[in-house]
Amino acid sequence: MKSKNLACNDSHMNCLSGESLNAPEPLHCCQERSVANLTDHTAGSSQVRISLAVYLSGSHCLLDSKKMLGYIWQYVYTSFLRYLLKWLLRQATGKCELQRICSGYKPGATRTTKAEYSLRSSKNKVLRGALETNKDKLEQCVDQIMKVKNVKPQKDPQFKESLHVCLLQITGHSSLYTSVEDMRKEVFNSDNQEHEAMLLKLWDLLMPTVKLESRITKQWGDIGFQGDDPKTDFRGMGMLGLINLVFFSENYTEEARQVLSHANHPKLGYSYAIVGINLTEMAYSLLKSGALKPHFYNTVLGTPELWHFHQLYCYLAFEFDKFWVAEEPESIMQFNQYREKFHDIVKTHLQDPDVSLTLTVRSKN
Amino acid sequence: MGLLSILRKLKSTPDQEVRILLLGLDNGGKTTLLKQLASEDISHITPTQGFNIKSVQSQGFKLNVWDIGGQRKIRPYWRNYFENTDVLIYVIDSADRKRFEETGQELAELLDEEKLSGVPVLIFANKQDLLTAAPASEIAEGLNLHTIRDRMWQIQSCSALTGEGIQEGMNWVCKSVNSKKK
Repeated sequence: MKSKNLACNDSHMNCLSGESLNAPEPLHCCQERSVANLTDHTAGSSQVRISLAVYLSGSHCLLDSKKMLGYIWQYVYTSFLRYLLKWLLRQATGKCELQRICSGYKPGATRTTKAEYSLRSSKNKVLRGALETNKDKLEQCVDQIMKVKNVKPQKDPQFKESLHVCLLQITGHSSLYTSVEDMRKEVFNSDNQEHEAMLLKLWDLLMPTVKLESRITKQWGDIGFQGDDPKTDFRGMGMLGLINLVFFSENYTEEARQVLSHANHPKLGYSYAIVGINLTEMAYSLLKSGALKPHFYNTVLGTPELWHFHQLYCYLAFEFDKFWVAEEPESIMQFNQYREKFHDIVKTHLQDPDVSLTLTVRSKN
Repeated sequence: MGLLSILRKLKSTPDQEVRILLLGLDNGGKTTLLKQLASEDISHITPTQGFNIKSVQSQGFKLNVWDIGGQRKIRPYWRNYFENTDVLIYVIDSADRKRFEETGQELAELLDEEKLSGVPVLIFANKQDLLTAAPASEIAEGLNLHTIRDRMWQIQSCSALTGEGIQEGMNWVCKSVNSKKK
């Protein structure tokens, strides 16, 4: 059904289709995409297209040859040089790559990311398989790796534990994604008493002095839902959206109420719950893309649990509010521009190997 | 010379830009429709705070589609987007019978707006994939669409979720832009 788009069937280029207007990409980016589009189309004036593509590749030959060299280098490195280097280092230090990683870097994102890469690009099945191993079998898996790599526990007593922690982090990240995805797929259902209770709990946590007049009421607007029944607002985030909202209100009650009071500002305000659900989406897509790995590798020296994800949501909710208040946008209609700006800031933080996106205030629990 | 300028020269006729305004109550399916038009993933939609805009190529047109949030609180901002609108697309949740009156009222107010006078209006009777959805004919009657005399209008049943009916609606949009220009 997705193919039902309105892409033109004539010779017009659709390099801009589907792109957001308010976020123009740099020109060269657009050009590259157009070249890709040129090869996609088969019907129409293909000759013109080919000559165009040739012309373009000519005008960008400097850039392309640089890129080409990069590819060649990468190929030579990953398929040959890397192994030679590893072998030489092994001879010199008497340690395998994983040992060198574990002893050379302190626990956290750098160590775990390097270990993950090393395992993923290993020629050995046992090492690659470790990335998909169940949590309970990881210890055995580490023993196996030590056997394969001929690591003597007496010589490197810390290695076993270090690698175990790395593997808990790596495999834990994918299982965390699975749990989060399950939660997102669970649709809010008014017939489910648990769901209903959670929704009412959210109200009580945020509005302790005001009683909800009925289940369906305009009052929901006071905590930033769109209409008189919040059930239609969770959309693609499902129960994950509600659970995040409740977690923030429950564990950082004061902060959540403070954020709500900012959101209810007559001029600088925004819809608290709706923006919260949008931030759940931000947290979710960052997790899905793997961008949160360094954060979790730094902050959880073991298996990340669901509540670690909720904690990250709290960070986003609190920090976004701070950002919004400081930026003083003209109106709520500017939300998406500021959301993008904030998103970019978060992504920049995540580039830092020492990143830790934690709310600095103290949690009640 | 950059690629874009070459492309512009290559085209026999440059794409005509069309400004489309997507309005309707919250939870009507405007953002899902927008994402369908742009062939994007529709499984992670969230309520629209503010607006979204995307540009889509269709039948020699460059459609700039403005999807404005539908919650009551931001409906007063709708008017900021009226200027230079070529076509209005009004999206209705055909299964939300409780709010037919509210959505009819909002539509009537839009049709009374001076800045939108004469602007063709396409009404999408959305969510036809739901069993409880009212048929387009029933909605047309409820909204008294036949009394619209000052502009071109069309009602199209669709499902933004499955994509059904969208192409037909957009064909009408392009046709109405063409005939308006003549």
